[in-house]
Amino acid sequence: MTDFDITSKTIDGIGPHGAKIGLLRVLGPAHVWALGVGIVLVGEYMGWNFSVGKGGAFAALIACWFAGILYTCVAMIDSEVTSTVAAAGGQYTQAKHIVGPLMAFNVGLYLVFAYTMLEAANAITVGFLMDTVANMTGHEGLDQRPFIILAIMFLAWLNYRGVLATLTFSLVITAIAFSAIIILFLFTSPLLGSDVLQHQALMTDLPYGWLGVLAAMHFGLWYYLGIEGTTQAAEEVRSPARALPFGTLAGIMTLLIAATLTWYVCVGLMPWEYLGQAGVPLFDAARLSGSTFLMVLLGIGTLFATLASANGCINDASRAWFAMGRDHYLPSWFGAVHPKYRTPYRSIIFLVPIALVFALGAPLDQVITFSILSGLLEYTFMPINVIMFRKKWPLDTIKRGYEHPFHPIPAIVLLSLCGITYFAVFLGYGTQLVAMIAFYIVVSLWFHFRRYRFVRRAAQFTMPWPRPQGY
Amino acid sequence: MTKYTPPVQGKFGQIVDVIVLLVMTIGALYVPLWMGLAGSAHTSSVPENPTWESLGQNPVMVEKWNQLGYADPASAAELITARFDYSFSVGSLLMMIIVIVGYYAIILRFSENEYREVISEKFGGK
Amino acid sequence: MDIWNIMEYAAWALSAVFGLIIVADWLKTDSTYSDDVLLSSQEGELEAMTEEHKV
Repeated sequence: MTDFDITSKTIDGIGPHGAKIGLLRVLGPAHVWALGVGIVLVGEYMGWNFSVGKGGAFAALIACWFAGILYTCVAMIDSEVTSTVAAAGGQYTQAKHIVGPLMAFNVGLYLVFAYTMLEAANAITVGFLMDTVANMTGHEGLDQRPFIILAIMFLAWLNYRGVLATLTFSLVITAIAFSAIIILFLFTSPLLGSDVLQHQALMTDLPYGWLGVLAAMHFGLWYYLGIEGTTQAAEEVRSPARALPFGTLAGIMTLLIAATLTWYVCVGLMPWEYLGQAGVPLFDAARLSGSTFLMVLLGIGTLFATLASANGCINDASRAWFAMGRDHYLPSWFGAVHPKYRTPYRSIIFLVPIALVFALGAPLDQVITFSILSGLLEYTFMPINVIMFRKKWPLDTIKRGYEHPFHPIPAIVLLSLCGITYFAVFLGYGTQLVAMIAFYIVVSLWFHFRRYRFVRRAAQFTMPWPRPQGY
Repeated sequence: MTKYTPPVQGKFGQIVDVIVLLVMTIGALYVPLWMGLAGSAHTSSVPENPTWESLGQNPVMVEKWNQLGYADPASAAELITARFDYSFSVGSLLMMIIVIVGYYAIILRFSENEYREVISEKFGGK
Repeated sequence: MDIWNIMEYAAWALSAVFGLIIVADWLKTDSTYSDDVLLSSQEGELEAMTEEHKV
């Protein structure tokens, strides 16, 4: 590990408000890309295929593209706001400056839960993959728990040791996992002369009709869930106003390509009834291609994608938790930065056992649904956020690193797609949805009437902006 | 606007707050699980003595099932015939809409009050 | 006892090692530095130092 202080002389450690230590500004646009894509790419290796089960192969493609539109709106809106509000905590800090403290507290919790549950889902998949490989080599009944725990402990340790090494690791394994998808596509597609894909024979009509297409939106989000996490790196990126929009928008483009290719290859190789319930669909696709090379490659790709995702999740969840601790939204104890590694180490440690509880104790689709719901609540907040942002600070009042086009159309599209997705979740997991919102209502009341008394009022507004219009 | 000085929270209070949050979080996920309400209704209607034809599988599909390790129709029948139940009542849909809209309404309202306080302390009264 | 059994034990052991390293360093850090230093990080330093957002 290199000496971190070399690059840190200029900004951190000599903060104007008497800060003695801070997070370290060492990341470039490639790390932002790796953080965003790394978290999400695992969605191509597992989970997206439940949308096939929900509505059939075509429904999954429609859901994939509509979710793509949803996330393009998310990425554009996020890029604009975050290129201005560059601080750890991402959307939490945005909400604090633009909507208000209680919204910010809720957004912070959405972030932490979406990422921690996704981390748990990844660890479960690591265990499942190990079991699958063990079965293929003739070993029955592998104990998955040590592998689940090891994945979480190793990545927590990596995150604890410093952000540069963590995200460089993510960059490398994400690039490998992404290349694996491209290679699988090239080797199975007619481009290279092989004809293993059997779309004509395997595609069926919509088994549930158009209602199934709506239902598929639920897991359609899984193709992209987490791309908005790029903003968590804001306080550790060398030039946030440039690197964050660039990394985020490049990330969403990468994912649109990967998602479509994944769909194309998988539905050309598996009957939809199997695909809709498969645990590791891309690995299955590689097995069916009949090539040992592809099978090994996609096995490694699956492992790397889950690790990159869990890695990014630990990074993002701990930043959000840390930022809330720093503002006393949560006990201030969590707002600590490690003096040597410059990471929010107490938040990282605290979230480990929570991830373990869910990884070891809850079924995969529940954990995924918990994560998707938290994400969905967050995406509903975004259009509200950006409309208020443009109203309180019109374009000519503060400098923005990136201005998203066609305002307010992206906000309205995003809100409508969120509405559709709520309906999709309602079709299968209505009880969870209500339980989840009940949880957020209870927690909000707790915050408003008890916790908020420990928060300094003016001090939490840290951006050097003018007074918002209309206040 | 006078400046608001928050009380300093002691170690014990911090621990209590963390425990409260943890209990609420774990409750939100596990209560539906324990009550058996989680997961969507999933039905399988496996016919007696299923054949690939009666399951609606063409030769290519059969070949794929075989490659995936399902050698005979009976082993794959449950996967193939599994269907979700998407029926719902208008009442529960309305209920959900009210819960979601109500939730955001509460949050935005409380936030607005808190936000005005923040702004007037930060930028001074008008 | 085949390779997978060995890997199970190795995974348990490695998990414990990583956990111990983290906890040891955490306790050491907390006892070496005061909370004054550890909690002193501030949000929005970059903005305050580089740009005043005047258009």
